This record gives sequence, C-alpha cells and structure tokens, in this order.
Amino acid sequence: MGGLIQDIKLIGADLPKLEALREKGRNSFLNQGLPTAKTEAWKYTRVRELAGDDFVMEETCGKVCDKEHSSCCCQGKCALPFDAYEIHFCNGKLKEDHFHLPEGVQAMPLIDAVTENETTAFLNKSFEMQNFPFAALNTAYLEQGVFLRVARGVCPDKPLAFIHHSHGGVKRFANLRNIVVLETGAQATLIEAYQYSGEVKSEYFNNIVNEIFIGRQAVLRHYKVQSEALKAVHIALNAVKVRENGLYESFCRQKGANLARQETHVVLQESGAEAIVNAVYMMNGWATLDTTTDIEHPAQNTRSNQLVKGVVGGQAKGVFQGKIHIAPNAVQTEGYQLHKALLLSDEAEVDVKPELEIFADDVKCSHGATCGELDAEQLFYLQSRGIGAEEARQMLIEAFVDESFQLIKDDNIRHWMKRF
Amino acid sequence: MAEKPEIIDESGDKYKYGFVTNIESETVPKGLNEDIIRLISRKKGEPEWLLEKRLAAYRFWLNMKEPTWAKLSYDKINYQDLFYYAAPKQKAAPQSLNEVDPALLDTYNKLGIPLKEQEVLAGVVAVDAVFDSVSVATTYRAKLAEQGIIFCSISEAVKNHPDLVQKYLGSVVPYTDNFFACLNSAVFTDGSFVYIPKGVKCPMELSTYFRINAKNTGQFERTLIVADEGSYVSYLEGCTAPQRDENQLHAAIVEIVVLKDAEVKYSTVQNWYPGDKDGKGGVYNFVTKRAACRGDNAKVSWTQVETGSAVTWKYPSCILQGDNSCGEFYSVAITNNRQQADTGTKMIHIGKNTRSKIISKGISAGFSNQTYRGLVKVAPKAFNARNYSQCDSLLIGSTCGSHTVPYVENRCRSAVLEHEATTSKISDEQLFYCKQRGIGEEEAVSLIVNGFCKEVMQQLPMEFAIEAAKLINISLTGSIG
Repeated sequence: MGGLIQDIKLIGADLPKLEALREKGRNSFLNQGLPTAKTEAWKYTRVRELAGDDFVMEETCGKVCDKEHSSCCCQGKCALPFDAYEIHFCNGKLKEDHFHLPEGVQAMPLIDAVTENETTAFLNKSFEMQNFPFAALNTAYLEQGVFLRVARGVCPDKPLAFIHHSHGGVKRFANLRNIVVLETGAQATLIEAYQYSGEVKSEYFNNIVNEIFIGRQAVLRHYKVQSEALKAVHIALNAVKVRENGLYESFCRQKGANLARQETHVVLQESGAEAIVNAVYMMNGWATLDTTTDIEHPAQNTRSNQLVKGVVGGQAKGVFQGKIHIAPNAVQTEGYQLHKALLLSDEAEVDVKPELEIFADDVKCSHGATCGELDAEQLFYLQSRGIGAEEARQMLIEAFVDESFQLIKDDNIRHWMKRF
Repeated sequence: MAEKPEIIDESGDKYKYGFVTNIESETVPKGLNEDIIRLISRKKGEPEWLLEKRLAAYRFWLNMKEPTWAKLSYDKINYQDLFYYAAPKQKAAPQSLNEVDPALLDTYNKLGIPLKEQEVLAGVVAVDAVFDSVSVATTYRAKLAEQGIIFCSISEAVKNHPDLVQKYLGSVVPYTDNFFACLNSAVFTDGSFVYIPKGVKCPMELSTYFRINAKNTGQFERTLIVADEGSYVSYLEGCTAPQRDENQLHAAIVEIVVLKDAEVKYSTVQNWYPGDKDGKGGVYNFVTKRAACRGDNAKVSWTQVETGSAVTWKYPSCILQGDNSCGEFYSVAITNNRQQADTGTKMIHIGKNTRSKIISKGISAGFSNQTYRGLVKVAPKAFNARNYSQCDSLLIGSTCGSHTVPYVENRCRSAVLEHEATTSKISDEQLFYCKQRGIGEEEAVSLIVNGFCKEVMQQLPMEFAIEAAKLINISLTGSIG
C-alpha cells in the first residue's frame, strides 16, 4: 500500500473505543485494497498510482496546526467575499480551536467531541466502510476535523464555512473527518472551500469525509468549491442521512487537482425527505475529475433531483457515476438525474454511468445523459455578429454551465462560486 | 397460470427419464474434459483445425471465472453435471397430444398455432413432420443456392465451405471473449451458417425456426452470418412457442460479419421455458451476440423480444468499424414471476460518422427483476459519431424490480451522445379509462403494454410481430390483481 498505511502516533490512543474503530478502518482498507478498474464503483477513476507514492503523514502535534505552517498560508486570500462564520483548516488541521459562532451553533475539534462522547451516535454511522475504501482509510487515521452542531430550530444569520488551505513542500497525506448535525427544524448554509498556496505543482493528498445528519424539518444547503493544486489528489465523501421532511441541497464545483473525486451518498431515511445534488466540473490539462452520487430512497414519498454539468478540455477525463436506488415499497418517490458534458478537445474523455435501481412500481424516475461539443451553428451565429471565435466559445461555455449556477439561490454565494 | 407447477413436475420427471433413455443412444457421457470434446468433434466428423480450436478454448476456459457482475442470482451451475452432446429425445417424447399437458396446449391455442404444428412443437414428433420440415428447408436451399446464398448448419458448412468458416468463425467473438462464449467455443454442437455473396439481396427471410424444432439441437448453438459487400439479409431466430424441451443451460454465440455496403437484420423472439411461478426450473440463457460492421456503410440491426428463460444474460452488440456504418438495437424484454433478465447492448464506435440507436423497453411483473445494461463507446477517431439511447421501463406490481445501468464512454469531441431512461407504471387512470369502456383488466393491461412496446414491435417482420404481440399477452397473464 506504499505510503497510505503508516504507523504514526495519533492523539486519543488512550481511548479504547477510538482505537478499536481506527483498527477496524485499517483492516477494512487492507481487505479492500486500492480500487482497480475492476472495482465497479471506481471503474473509470484510476487510483492505482497512489500505491506507489510515498506520502508523508505528519505525526500530530496537537489539535491545531503549528505556527510555522499557519504563518505561510492565508494572508487574507482565504477569506470569503461575504460574511460567514469561518472555521479555518491548514494542511488538513484546524488552525485554531476557538471559533466565533452564533448562539445555538456548537463546534469543537473532533477529537474533543470523541473524548466527551458527543459523537457516539454519529461517528462512522453514515456509511458502510466496506463500500468506501478511502473512507475506511480515513477511519484508520481518525483524529483531525470538526464536530459541528446546529441546535433545534436554530437558523444562523450567516453561512458557516470550512475553509481549507494546503500548501506545497512535502508530499503530505491528510485525513480529515467532519461531522455536521442539524437538529430538528434547524436551517443552515455550509460552505466548504479547498485551495492551496505556493507551488501550483504541489503534490499532496487530501482525503476528506463529511458525515452529515439532517433532522426532521431541517435544511442544509451545502456549497463546495474544490480548487486544489494541479498535482494534488482530492478524494471526498459526503455521507448524508436525512430524516422526515428534511432537505439536503448541495452544489459542488470542481476545477483543481490532478485526481479528484467527490462522492455524495445520501440516504433519505424517512417520508418527505428530499435531496438536491448538483455539480459542475470544469478542467483542462491531465486531470481526472470524478463526480459520483448514490441516492438511496428507502422510504415512501421521498424526492431527489440531480443536475451535473461538465466541461472537459486538454487531455482531461471527466467521470460521472450516479445511482438512484428505490427500495421495495418506497412508493410515491421521485428520482431525477441529468448529466450533460461538453468536450472541448480531441484528447478529452468523458465516461458516464447513470444507474437506476428500482424495486417499487409507483415511482417517477428518469435519468438522462448527453455528451457533445460546442454547437457549430451557435458559434457561427455569434461570430457572424462580430464576436471573436475565442470569446464566442467562452460565452457558450459560460451559458452551458450557467444553467447549473442559477440553481444557487443566494446571490453572494452564486457569484463567488462562479468566479472561483 | 395456476396449472403451471404441474407442468414443471411432469417435465422435471420427464427430463430425468429422457436422459436415461438417451444415454443408450445418442448422448456422450456426462461431464466436460478433453476426451469429451474430442468425442464431439469426432462424432461430427470435424477437421483437425476445428478440434484444435475447441481444445484451445477449453484450456483457456479452465482458467476463467464465471462472471458475477450481472444483477442475477441463480444456483451455481455444475459444469461437470451436464451433457455436452445430446441427440433428439425420441423415446421420451409423448406419443400423442393426449399425453401433453393441457395447460401447454391451451397456450398453443392462444398463440393460434395450428394443430399440426402444435404436434411438432410439443415434441409429438410425427416422423413425416420432421421429414416435411427438412424437405422444406432443402427446397428453399436449392432456391437460395441459385443466387449463391449458402444457408446450412454449421457442421455442414465446416465440411462443405471450410475456407469461409475458418476465415470468419471466432473472428467477431474470439474464444477469449467471455466465460460462456469460451465454453461454447469448446463444445458447440450445431447452429446455422449463412453466407450472402456480393451484391445479393436475399429474397426471403431466413429462419432457424424449423431447424431447431426438427433437429432438436442442444444447448450450445453457434451461428455465423457473413454478408458480403452490398448484400442484404433478414434473419429470424428462435421459437415462438414454449419449448417443451427445457435445457438447463443455454450458451449460444451468434457472430455476424457485415462487409462494405451490406445490411443484416437479425430478429429474435426468445421464449424458452421460464420456470414455474416459484422460480423452479427454467432455462439459463447466456448468449453472446455480436456483429462487426467491417466495411463502410455497413448496417446491422438487432431486434429482440425476450419473454422466456429463468435467467437471461444477453447483450447483442455492434462493432462499428467501417466509416458511416450503422448499428441499431431494438428490444422488448418481459419478465414475470421469478424471472431475471440482465440484457442490453454494446455499441462500439470506431469509424467516422458511425451511428447507433438503442430502443429498449423493459416490462417487469410479479417478483421478477430486470436490468438494462448497455455500453456506448466512442473511440478517439470516430469523428461525428452519433448515438441515441432510450430505455423505458414499465413496472407492474410493487414486488418487481427494474434497473438501468448504461455506460457511456466518449473519447471523441465531435461525437454527440444522448441517453435517456424513464420508469413508470400503468397508471390507474389508464386502467380506469379502459375499464369504463368495457375492456377487461387483463385486456387493458395488454393493450397498454403493446402500446408501450410499439416502437420495437414495428421493427419485427410481419409474421413475427403478430406472434410476439400474443406472446407478450401470455407472458403477462396473471400479473394483475
């Protein structure tokens, strides 16, 4: 397994439950091994090379990253252009453990939450390790991350934000686990941003798992921007559970990294639960960007909707895998899914697998997938009106992805995501 | 449908009994090894090269694993517990129609098959009937030969046209392709061979209908169709009535080679024995079908109506190598009771301006499960490739399942690919509307289902279409209420 499994000292070794869980994660990962082309869920995304890489896993020096590192990042670049309650991470570690948060919103370093038994009902409860090799690996190194809880009925006035910053230098492998809990009736917006400083060609590997629990009537709007360094690896899992009449709405924009995968696994546990999972990926170069969704409808009267758009140029590869699973007797459910991709160059590639798995008859389900290049007629139309070829292309590309961005209701967030 | 279990019990007994008598006559011993393959090859008087091919396939097969990726669950097949060469089960056949299960006869009546034909289908083999159909075949064969068309069994082709067979056999589906194709390459017993010479439009539809019934060929058929430049042929496969003769394992290969400007239309109505309502018995149907459009402007079209088999694993594919070549796939699959079907197609675009179209209609009822699994792959040089795929599923009842797993792999910028899939049920309003006008519930369902499948049924040749429509109704009997 190369540099992915290492013996390093983690905080919390004195907590037997945590140690046992780490051990389980480690064994689960070793049993599965790295996914290969034969692993159905990873058919199009090759991660084999990771095995040969020698990653550096930093021994911990506490709950927050040391001063030496934190001095190099940020410098105002990380800040959002609008007001938000920000929690900063540097190289996969919390920058500080004092947070400025409104009343009713509680946050603490994950390890503290584990120590105080706050996480018992949540930690590793939103996914099965045997289906997610990288989440199993993440479990083996459980330590860093944040536990965030929005209390019953609380609606923070500003978005909550996780701002991640990585910087070059050593070839670092960071595992991060966040737990987000919305209690009954709570409503919040969560922003997640991944960026880097220093060398564009920095090599590092961020392995992130967010476990999200949405209570009855609660609403979480989750916006993510992934703009890692060009040689970075970014593998993220959002494992979400939604209870009665809850709503999970997410929008993920991916544009960086050499190998990135955003996997969203939603379980609509109870009647009335709803999920909206949208994404846009745009890239050039040699990158592989993977968007994978798996929406489970185990309960009656649940709804899901997905719109994923991709623009692929250079020698890049775009991957979309989407699955809607409707359990027996989960009647009156609706599941829609649409993927559209635009190929800009002769060497670009798009691989798509939209899957429906339906075990009940009284359902409305559909999926669609299209793939093509810019419409020559539209280009001609613009050019015939005096718009240069390149500008016309840009306009059409922007119009193509704009359909997705329009789904973001908040103006500030939409502008920020578009310009990122 | 209530009588169905009885059919199983009786045929189950018959099955055992049938083989006992057969061992004395025309069956090679149970099991699979190199000696059995040599024996099959010798019985068929095959040349050395074919035996070598069989043995190579067998040796390769020994190291292969049975695929498990399909959404199918069935009891493990013991490949050593099968007969790999079985001749007609004459002694086991019922002697008159009175001995045939009345439920089966009822089905035939519904299909509208005349009594004489019923006798043939039920296996009440009146000797002259067999001869009749053979002679019919020969009459046609002479007529076809006038135009240079070769239509014969693959064993005859090996003897009479070895150069053609050697050139094309295994060129579309090599024995290394997959587990079941490899097994077939080692032990195939018979099948048909068609060669259409340059520029010839085959004047009639070629069919395996009679041949299979008459000769009662076994589980491992091998079909090879070669359409030379500028030729055309429409080929019909399968039986349109339930086979009395249930094979446990059916692993066939169909290879089609389409050269420049040629067109092949291949239609299948598959209605093997589906097992009883509890999922006991029935045929495991593992079929590899593939067409290669080798020349420019070649065209191939697959149409299939799948109503039978307990387990279906079948992906008729098109390799579009020639520029401007075109592949089509039209499918209706119906599963009821405990049937399982994992079926679809592969469209591999290699040449420029290649086009493909996929229309798949799946109907699941009872406790059945059905999967559409398709691949559309566009190679980097397949400029202006075009694909349109549509998969619609209709679910009848809340205990069945319907799944869609399309794979789209595009490596060409100028390719335009579209895929859409929907899932629905027969709405209460539709049923109410029909009932209000005095149409019974079952009739209403078949009306709606036939409307749902219309796009595909239109692709079938006339006589097939009528029977297929009736078959759909029969398959769905008892699925409502």
